[in-house]
Amino acid sequence: MKKLLVLALVLLLAVGSLFAAAEKEAADGVVELDMYHYHNLADDTATGQWNEIMAAFEVSYPNITLNIEYQNNEPFHNKLQAMAVAKQLPDVVYLWPKKRTGYVTGAGLIKDLVPFLGDKVNEFSPAAMTPQGPNGEIYEVPQQVTATHVVFTNNKILDELGLTYPKTLDEMLAQGPKLAAAGYIPIAMDNGDGWQMQSCFLSALTERAGGMDWYNDVLVGKASFSDTEFVNALNVIKVLSDNDMFSPGINQAPYGNALSDFENGKAAYLIDGGWRVQSLVEELPEALVPYVTLEAFPDIPNQVGQSQSTAVVAGTGFGMNANLEGTKADAAWDWIWFYSGEEGANIRVGHGMIPSYINADMGSQHPLLAKLVDFLNTKPAGYVIDAVVDGEGMGVLHPGIQEMMFGNKTPQAVADEFEAWVAANDSTRNP
Amino acid sequence: MEVKTNNMNSWKLFSYILMAIFTLITIGPLLWTFFSSLKPHALIVQSPFKLFMEWSPANYISAWKLGEMGILFLNSIFYSTIATVGTVYLALAAGYAFAKFGFRISKVFYAFFAAGLLITVHSVLVPLFVMENWLGIDNTRIGVLIPYIGFGLPFQVYLATSFIKSLPTSLEEAARIDGATYMQVFWKIVIPMAVPVTVTMLIYAFLGNWNEFVLIMVLTSDSAIRSLPAGINAFAGGMARNYGFQFAALCIGTIPMILFYAAFRKQIAKGFAAGSLKE
Amino acid sequence: MDFREKRRSYWYLVGPAVLIYSLVIIFPVVVSFVLGFTKWSGFGSPVFVGIKNYITMMKDPVFLYDLRNNLLIVGTSVFGQIPLGFVLAYILYRKMVKFGNFFESMIFLPITISAVVVAIMWNRIFFGNSGMFTSLMRMITGDQRWIMAISESKSGAIFPVLFVILWMYTGLYMIIYLANLQKISPSVLEAAIIDGASEGQILGRIILPSMINVLFTTAIFAISGSLKSFDLIFAMTNGGPAHYTEVVAIYMYINTFKYYKYGFGSAVSIMIIILSVGLITILNKFVRRIERKYE
Repeated sequence: MKKLLVLALVLLLAVGSLFAAAEKEAADGVVELDMYHYHNLADDTATGQWNEIMAAFEVSYPNITLNIEYQNNEPFHNKLQAMAVAKQLPDVVYLWPKKRTGYVTGAGLIKDLVPFLGDKVNEFSPAAMTPQGPNGEIYEVPQQVTATHVVFTNNKILDELGLTYPKTLDEMLAQGPKLAAAGYIPIAMDNGDGWQMQSCFLSALTERAGGMDWYNDVLVGKASFSDTEFVNALNVIKVLSDNDMFSPGINQAPYGNALSDFENGKAAYLIDGGWRVQSLVEELPEALVPYVTLEAFPDIPNQVGQSQSTAVVAGTGFGMNANLEGTKADAAWDWIWFYSGEEGANIRVGHGMIPSYINADMGSQHPLLAKLVDFLNTKPAGYVIDAVVDGEGMGVLHPGIQEMMFGNKTPQAVADEFEAWVAANDSTRNP
Repeated sequence: MEVKTNNMNSWKLFSYILMAIFTLITIGPLLWTFFSSLKPHALIVQSPFKLFMEWSPANYISAWKLGEMGILFLNSIFYSTIATVGTVYLALAAGYAFAKFGFRISKVFYAFFAAGLLITVHSVLVPLFVMENWLGIDNTRIGVLIPYIGFGLPFQVYLATSFIKSLPTSLEEAARIDGATYMQVFWKIVIPMAVPVTVTMLIYAFLGNWNEFVLIMVLTSDSAIRSLPAGINAFAGGMARNYGFQFAALCIGTIPMILFYAAFRKQIAKGFAAGSLKE
Repeated sequence: MDFREKRRSYWYLVGPAVLIYSLVIIFPVVVSFVLGFTKWSGFGSPVFVGIKNYITMMKDPVFLYDLRNNLLIVGTSVFGQIPLGFVLAYILYRKMVKFGNFFESMIFLPITISAVVVAIMWNRIFFGNSGMFTSLMRMITGDQRWIMAISESKSGAIFPVLFVILWMYTGLYMIIYLANLQKISPSVLEAAIIDGASEGQILGRIILPSMINVLFTTAIFAISGSLKSFDLIFAMTNGGPAHYTEVVAIYMYINTFKYYKYGFGSAVSIMIIILSVGLITILNKFVRRIERKYE
């Protein structure tokens, strides 16, 4: 019987090692790279673009094989974090420019790409090439520059009711009852996950309410999130919420509901990120395209910052494992450059993205994309809060905003709680 | 007598109402999910209730292809089968030893296993991942199977031990007197007598392994060795907006389980009748 | 007989299970226990901080609210699923309805479906504009802004989750009770009926006493399962809005995997174990008292 038991265990181990050994052996001259990518298979828009880039890369670099692992949302970060703890990062990793993936970039696990970039730095928009590390490091080459706040506007609805895009918050509030009476949602937005209100709206409002000088002071502790400026920004959200301007059930809705409402002509405005142009290019009914414009939120009371301002953050892109040397490092750079440089950029333009690579061929743009380019070129911009404050702080701010919208907390209380967390814990204030 | 019949009737009415409510709550959502999975995204959003229309398997085909469901499906079968057999065998063996050997250390081991019922997978994720890395078995099939077997053990050991305890010892003693070794007793006498609980154990272990989600996400990275729940989740996350694909993926994960239940309904019910839950 | 053979056989039987179990559960839990007294972000060495993590936890209103939600789930399991499961089992056992097999299947079916699937399904039903329940209510009320208002109130947001939990797991208890009811010898029942015992007497004198052990065992599962509950809520509400539906396991998960506070997260997971043991001990005392009454 002992034999049987041993046999069973051996068999089990053998089966396992068999599968483990089945990993492909690299052929001569072929460089294999393990890659960890943020990608959602159910996202048609992103998948189309991704497949096109992969196909083009295979043609250009037949000697490089990419073994890709896809993850998205929280599991992406959980896994990356676990890999970082175990010091087992793959060769090429999809990264965020600032604090979102700071747990790997800040730990010295990612190679600084500045030596690889060299003069090519000038081929990117300056916003994309802002330093990502304390000594001017660039850990990933951003594929795009993202405006997180855009008020997508359906002018067909406005025309129908004899309205025009409002210049002030009060004007916008006055439109609410008219839109609602006609059966429309005034402002479509989802906030079930909590980050949307902060990233797509409050970030822009914060610059509006306080201006860039104040914003910079807050980050280093010379001013405070408890100041009237930030409370004022929060108050705009509260006033809109109290007047039923947002989608019903906004704080329960899964991300994407609002976009569907907007595309189906049920909502006059959609507050979302510039990345939604990609989805609109593919999904918006042809007849509606000419009517959709991209705006920034109207002026708010006691505005200190710049009129028409939005919030901008350098985009995501690929970085490489700090341990890579020689041919593997070269191959990894080939991929990074291909993805964010000219070739990848040209493909991306065709899919409704604005690449950070300035020499990209912008020739045949979709009209909405042209509007986004115009939006980015003309609107001033402030920071996105979650790019400049640690992620854990969002765990205080996001629920706070939701509670404020439910009427359980005042804007001042939300601001005070957030400030208390930032003052005690944020890595910029407490280096 | 009159009163009693009335009483009986109202009991019956209450029973039917209760049963009907449960049935509705089960069937409604499942059917809605199923019908939705046959509709394109736009229709799900615009008219969530329009059930009878041109049904199309397009979502299934896309979800199957995009999510590489074929390989995930095979992997699910592989993990569920091997881990289930492994767990159940080990649990029966341990259960026999705990129930019949009368060793004092059994109490300690048994308490250890019982404590496992209180532990969430998440509390061991990071140490487990680091350890598998160190052993070099992360992202391998064996690296998935071992935790699957381990996490199945607490409940299974509990089921096996309490069942085997309730078996009469006379047969074993007779066999021992005839010169059989303990291992022979285990294979020839205990296992055949434990068939009822074994069936229950197999079914529950299989269900658990089939639906397992967290370990497979963290311990593997190669999509070729992942299982179905990981694939389903890929369709449900943040930016995913194609509800048609989502619902199709949900159905792909659910339909096999419904068939599985339909096939083993009797055994599932009978397993518990075998005294498995008596102390 | 030969004690050495017995001892050797014992280890053949127990060894592999203990080995694998120690490797994947005991050892990592011990690591967690030790980490629970440290501050560690995953890089560098953990710093010993004593019981500071436990103090921080007890002072955090979010943790305390999560605990409240967990206790509501325990309550739903012990005072909802178990009695309801018993009533359903009893109805089927006494054949009070026709199509018993069909109803039994319908009630048990949810347990076979993955929690992630169930959660996504109910999320789509309850929340968002195109959900089944929301659409239905908008059709009935004619109010295009109708929403699940309860999900936006601090005290009520957990109830839709409790509803799904009740629906999902009651079937399991029902099956367990039904199986054990069917073991009660029919002759005992018949004798009681002939003696003119009422329905209530049969239940109280014959059936409940013989079910005490099973009820106790299932209550243990209900408690430990409730404190661990994660997958369903995580995929259904992710604890939101504003922590209203969060439970301790999600709190632990967020702190560990989102904020990279490994020491703190470990302390929370140890806390879950401590709470389970505590509640089960209380339950144990309670059951012993009842048992004494029956003896």
